[in-house]
Amino acid sequence: MTANLSPSLWRRWRGLLITLAAALLLPFVVGLLEGQPPTAVLANSAGVSKFVQGLAIEVFIFALYALSYDLIFGITGLLSFGHAMFFAVGAYLTGALIKSFGLPLWQTLIWVTFASVLQALLFSVVLPRVKGITFALVTLGMASVFHLMIMSRELGEFTGADVGLQGMIKPDFLNPATERLRLYYVALALLVTMYYLFKRFVDSPTGRVCVAIRENEGRALMLGYNTFRFKLAALLLSSFAAALAGALYAIYQPIISPHIASLGFTVTALLIILIGGVGTLQGALVGALVYRLLDFGLRRYMGESASFVNGLIYVLIVIFLPYGIVGTWRMKSLQLRQGWAKIGDAIPWKPNDGAAR
Amino acid sequence: MNTFLRKNLLLLLTLAVLAGFLAAAGRNMETSDFVITLLRGFSVGALTFLVASGFSLIFGLLDVLNLAHGTLFMIGAYAGWTVYVRPDTFIDLVTPLALLVSGFTLADAWRHLAVRISMTGRGVAAWIGFGVAALLLAYILPRYPIAMWNVDDYAQSPVAYSLAASQGQVTPPPAATFTEIAPGVAVLGLLISSAFIAFGLAWLRSGGQAGRPLTWRSFTRVAMVLLVGLGALIFNDALTAWLFALNSNWLFAIAVAVSVATGVALGGLMEVTLIRPLYVRPIYQLMLTLGLSVIGTELVRAIWGRPEFTMPKPELFAGTGAGCPATTFGDWLTHHCSTVILFEGRVRVYNEIFIPLVGLVVLISIWILLKRSRLGMIIRAGVQDRQMVEALGINVRRVFTQVFALGVGLAALGGVLAAPSIGLSNTMGESFLLNALIALAIGGLTSYPGAALGSLLVGLLQQFIIKYGQIGIPIPFTEILFKPTPPIVPASTVLLMVIVLLIMPNGLLGKKE
Repeated sequence: MTANLSPSLWRRWRGLLITLAAALLLPFVVGLLEGQPPTAVLANSAGVSKFVQGLAIEVFIFALYALSYDLIFGITGLLSFGHAMFFAVGAYLTGALIKSFGLPLWQTLIWVTFASVLQALLFSVVLPRVKGITFALVTLGMASVFHLMIMSRELGEFTGADVGLQGMIKPDFLNPATERLRLYYVALALLVTMYYLFKRFVDSPTGRVCVAIRENEGRALMLGYNTFRFKLAALLLSSFAAALAGALYAIYQPIISPHIASLGFTVTALLIILIGGVGTLQGALVGALVYRLLDFGLRRYMGESASFVNGLIYVLIVIFLPYGIVGTWRMKSLQLRQGWAKIGDAIPWKPNDGAAR
Repeated sequence: MNTFLRKNLLLLLTLAVLAGFLAAAGRNMETSDFVITLLRGFSVGALTFLVASGFSLIFGLLDVLNLAHGTLFMIGAYAGWTVYVRPDTFIDLVTPLALLVSGFTLADAWRHLAVRISMTGRGVAAWIGFGVAALLLAYILPRYPIAMWNVDDYAQSPVAYSLAASQGQVTPPPAATFTEIAPGVAVLGLLISSAFIAFGLAWLRSGGQAGRPLTWRSFTRVAMVLLVGLGALIFNDALTAWLFALNSNWLFAIAVAVSVATGVALGGLMEVTLIRPLYVRPIYQLMLTLGLSVIGTELVRAIWGRPEFTMPKPELFAGTGAGCPATTFGDWLTHHCSTVILFEGRVRVYNEIFIPLVGLVVLISIWILLKRSRLGMIIRAGVQDRQMVEALGINVRRVFTQVFALGVGLAALGGVLAAPSIGLSNTMGESFLLNALIALAIGGLTSYPGAALGSLLVGLLQQFIIKYGQIGIPIPFTEILFKPTPPIVPASTVLLMVIVLLIMPNGLLGKKE
């Protein structure tokens, strides 16, 4: 496989490919470790492997959600406190359309896409008027109104009010109980596709302008870019990804709980990308993994004091990993490489050619 | 007059709209209901203002969005409760805290010494000192006698103590005594560990800079702290008995003072140790303050337990006997009733008159501080242009610490004032933080009068909608009686915020950037 790719391309994508291979093999490896033959894993029999798949699906959902937040906050520099609404609209729309209107999944997804475009447009209406922290507060306002709508008793028939939406009939071919392995691969494929798309977006001229807006909007404007359009593009893509993550959440979780529309869930996305590294995209993936496993592990082994330790870990991360896991790693890896180069220069004897450079 | 009008046009317009809104709101309800709702709005507004003003000062000068502000509000409430209901615990805590602080009061001397003793490997030596101090503390602190309540046992839980105190049955719980450790060992150990930590820090940070020589000032400081600490240790029983026997008004005043002091100390400590390294990467301040707020909430849960309880009101506002509810001010002065009759409605004095009054006093005193003092001048200048103030050679760092401490102290004051009125719970901080954020967005994020106006608007709007939820709004030309449901209360303030921000992105009184 390496032979076909040019070396630089291979270096660029090797991390993703290795991770992808590991993720593809994960259910079977876990099954083998437990003593389950691959056929049993394929047949979705109960066991550690199935449980790990479930956990991994949650990580994928979180990763996709955080990825979408990274695009508007980390790349474009729009601080939004209403991002949970993007996710919750996807989740609730999927749940309500399948449960109350009996639509098939593909039609539901079309509606979700449509809704995601609409909400990105809704956010973009206020974009030219408010900037910075005020934009964050206005989006917070919109999201809280949506949150209250979900919680209200008048719409309880469709949303389940404060109990959450439950009793949605899962699509047969993606049922988390009987077809979990397939759901796992579908979620993985979705995440990888979206990651690739995001990466391409960030590396494209459009994405570069988005980064420029983050760094200095005035200068981008002065260079003749209509920054509103670029922000809108980022919002649209981000909203679409978040809504898809929400739809996946609705399919996987037995109950769609209303807290996914609250400010707390936006903060979750913020925490994930802060753990991983703001504006790095990979940071969202790493952060989601760390966040979910930390949450799971602490709840399981620390019991009562889980939240306390969690808060402590956040503070420690802020102190010791100043730019998140991926951000700090990138910074340090450059230093490491420079350090090695220095040692190499200090050695008088050169392996290739003795001539001084 | 003309310039005044032009300058304050928005403020006057808002007040006019507010007056019109109030007049319209008052038409559909009884006068007594209207007055009570108005006063309740003032009360919520005052508490929100105490949180919002500190938050806005911190955000304006330091550019820090302190998401732990709500938690600090809550910690202020719980600290005040501890002093008010369990003074014995408070007195027990004074000694170890004073002894631990004593080392740091000699900071100048340590710095002076650290420069003199410049040896290689002082980093290692300092860390060995920290290790010794940590071992000493780990040995002493668990054995140090502190009278505590027991969260798991209802008879000894904070809830039970609160209940007993509110019924006037003040039976001092058994005092904790030195049994596992000799008092001398404890005092010496605490002193030594404090000195080790303070000296180690000075040693690590000494960058060849000569410290100031010893002054009488630092000696008097350390003498004062030691005096307080050892005094509290020697006269422990007498002090506890005195506080238990003290008039509850005075005890409440002490509780408020201690709570504010706790807030100021926590704020200062937080800024110096944790916030200061983060000015270069502001977004991580969000994560830090979030983490701190989680830690604070969990600590409060672990120490004071999850159930809600109320702090009893001081005697001045708790009379219920003959002559109550009072109808005139003179009546109230003689009987100290908890309620008074105002426009034929019963108004709770503490909740609906005392809290707004304190809010007003704080509003005016901080206003004077900002307008008439040197610190206030630096703060106002810093909000406008921080770099310029730094360039003029003013020690902005110290001002940052002071402002952070002041802001957190205001939040703690709000917390301890709120405790007798809305009670203590683990979630009281969040709702007030959200209220304060909305109020600030409405009034203008960095504007001090904006914080006051926004808080007032939020408080009034919430209380009027709650009231209309009970009596209903008749919709004109129809027979329908619209009753706002409870979820509309937060939604209304949020909607007001969105509308205001869309019309005026900098808030009502915010300056244009």
